[in-house]
Amino acid sequence: MNLRQQLWRVRRCLGAAAPPRRLSWPPARAPLSVGSRRAQSSGSPTHWNQVVSEAEKIVGYPTSFMSLRCLLSDELSNIAMQVRKLVGTRHPLLTTARGLVHDSRNNLQLRGLVVLLISKAAGPSQVNASCQNYDMVSGIYSCQRSLAEITELIHTALLVHRGIVNLSELQSSDGPLKDMQFGNKIAILSGDFLLANACNGLALLQNTKVVELLASALMDLVQGVYHENSSAKENHITDDIGISAWKEKTFLSHGALLAKSCQAAMELAKHGAEVQEMAFQYGKHMAMSHKINSDLQPFVKEKTSDSVAFSLNSAPVVLHQEFLGRDLWIKQIGEAQEKGKLDYMKLRETIKAGKGVTSAIDLCRYHGNKALAALESFPPSEARSALENIVFAVTRFS
Amino acid sequence: MASCWWRWRRGCAWRPAARSPGPGAPGGAGTPGPRAAARAGAQMSCFNLMKSLKSAFPTMYHISRFHHTTSAVCCRSKAQSGEKYTDPFKLGLRDLKGLYKDIRKELFISTTELKEMSEYYFDGKGKAFRPVIVVLMARACNIHHDNSRDVQASQRAVALITEMIHTASLVHDDVIDDASSRRGKHTVNKIWGEKKAVLAGDLILSAASVALARIGNAAVISILTQVIEDLVRGEFLQLGSKENENERFAHYLEKTFKKTASLIANSCKAVSVLGCPDPTVHEIAYQYGKNVGIAFQLIDDVLDFTSCSDQMGKPTSADLKLGLATGPVLFACQQFPEMNAMIMRRFNLPGDVDRARQYVLQSDGVQQTTYLAQRYCHEAVKAISKLRPSPERDALIQLSEMVLTRDK
Repeated sequence: MNLRQQLWRVRRCLGAAAPPRRLSWPPARAPLSVGSRRAQSSGSPTHWNQVVSEAEKIVGYPTSFMSLRCLLSDELSNIAMQVRKLVGTRHPLLTTARGLVHDSRNNLQLRGLVVLLISKAAGPSQVNASCQNYDMVSGIYSCQRSLAEITELIHTALLVHRGIVNLSELQSSDGPLKDMQFGNKIAILSGDFLLANACNGLALLQNTKVVELLASALMDLVQGVYHENSSAKENHITDDIGISAWKEKTFLSHGALLAKSCQAAMELAKHGAEVQEMAFQYGKHMAMSHKINSDLQPFVKEKTSDSVAFSLNSAPVVLHQEFLGRDLWIKQIGEAQEKGKLDYMKLRETIKAGKGVTSAIDLCRYHGNKALAALESFPPSEARSALENIVFAVTRFS
Repeated sequence: MASCWWRWRRGCAWRPAARSPGPGAPGGAGTPGPRAAARAGAQMSCFNLMKSLKSAFPTMYHISRFHHTTSAVCCRSKAQSGEKYTDPFKLGLRDLKGLYKDIRKELFISTTELKEMSEYYFDGKGKAFRPVIVVLMARACNIHHDNSRDVQASQRAVALITEMIHTASLVHDDVIDDASSRRGKHTVNKIWGEKKAVLAGDLILSAASVALARIGNAAVISILTQVIEDLVRGEFLQLGSKENENERFAHYLEKTFKKTASLIANSCKAVSVLGCPDPTVHEIAYQYGKNVGIAFQLIDDVLDFTSCSDQMGKPTSADLKLGLATGPVLFACQQFPEMNAMIMRRFNLPGDVDRARQYVLQSDGVQQTTYLAQRYCHEAVKAISKLRPSPERDALIQLSEMVLTRDK
């Protein structure tokens, strides 16, 4: 079952208005690992749209976590008007905006969803659950739902800020300078607007520990995005980093936000340090495994259109380089280049012949297993299975 | 004193919104002015207010463009309590030793270049106008409350955070406006490019948020979060201009509040909340900060016309070049209606900027804006005078005068 199918099942599960089950801790259950159990298959992706809208009805909550308040604001409608001026240019904001609007049906919004699931999987804390059940819907506190939304807001804001262009490096094909300048302006403003909304939402949670967690996640994310931006080099020569440095940077850019949001969700329900740590671990390892999975796609898909470029900073390539040694790798890149243009098909075949791809798959499964292990401290539930299934989906390669 | 600590940014805003109560133009509507039929509302009331104030305080009005001595006399009469500091900055800076070093500690990250970019403006060359106001306010409130002679660590942290939020917004604004110099040096975007500059701004903001959260006070978090929202909304206000002439002045003041005054107002409020449980004191602190902040920006807008770029550390007539009609322009437009067309097209035809500048200098736009700033300062002094006398309180009063008399 693919990730997308998993996700819509999961959404439905979140909507199920069953009262939160009180379960015994710790759960008596044999440890799970990736591969020890096959994800059950269900549903058909062709009914995706229908199912999502059904799920939305059940949840009583839009799948898109970006709050309506934010989307309907004067500021964003102002932006929508302005973005039209960019049509015809190559400003990255257009692609980002298209992704947000056009994909809103299919948009995975994975981070928000995982925050909700782990909130539900943990349930109310035993300590003082009696006094705080009042605002719980489908086993999730309303503050945890806000948190899920904030997580998505932060993620989207950085997505928008990632797409700023350097005016001094423009090509004539990009579009007129004035328009690109304008695109930057709009991108900064909309990103800032989303961030301001996230800050506002955080302040409303009235929990300083949660504010600190999410603020530090934002700090990590900014650093991660910075690394990602600066490692995209013109001459195809990659940074000389080993896999452990790669993991650190990838945690900043892809793992920190989810890990800290999961932890914050536990803090909001007054769970103790141990549960918080497990939630953090799940978020971290799931995100890593998810990232490696998407890095692997160009190498494992049956039919990849051959000319499609892939990142030279993706996990399989970094591992490949590590096995090969820096010098040989530079040589291979050189061999795959023709008149300054990189022949991705050729390079892909070279990499596939080495050990990089298989060890990336191993790494993906390693993180998947870590994520599953973290889940074992949560009582068995529909939500926990959903979290497990997400891991199964991202660690399956066949 | 170093060049441009004064410079916040052009344009800022203000609106009598729920959490930001206050006067657009101090005072109410008056009798119809010269171009009666065409104007109404805020702009009119403001304009008429000027006229009526002129008659009420004839001496105050006779200020030259560069020397605002009479206003200072007027304000000083309010300062009564004993010890006089010649420089309120000295008094404030006592609590701010190592300010920039501490800020750089907050920005402790492993990425060298990103760290360098984020620290770029925390070079100790700014005059730390905002942090000084914040610590002075903290002490004034503490003394008012229980005669405490200390500044709490959390209050000092607010001063740091204020400067960080301010700087983060500068970095983003410079990218938005494609500015190339600030404080006499190149902007972050000119040196490192737009892509990285935006992330540097985000990093400073996130570090400020972490520091804010560590204070551990949910009310303070809410107060300072409001600033972040106001800054963005102010920038949006600046993006659009009001087609309706009558709304322009209100729009301008709202922008002035949001982009400049909100930060000062809410930081003042935050330290007052930390120092004193009395809501009246919080309101006093907020009103002081708001009025000083608006006055500060009004003068800033005046200096964009009267100062030379060497003094400011950045090019002048910058607002016009960005298509922004600030106070002096709006006032000048009352005398020279032909400026309307230029305002509408955001001074984008060749020669517009120079012509508008000439119109402004020929009109009494500069004096009127300065006068309006005086009124705001007067409100600020009125508010802060309600606190128990202290050297810090008087320094704040003095500081509001300095806002008016600065020439850079």
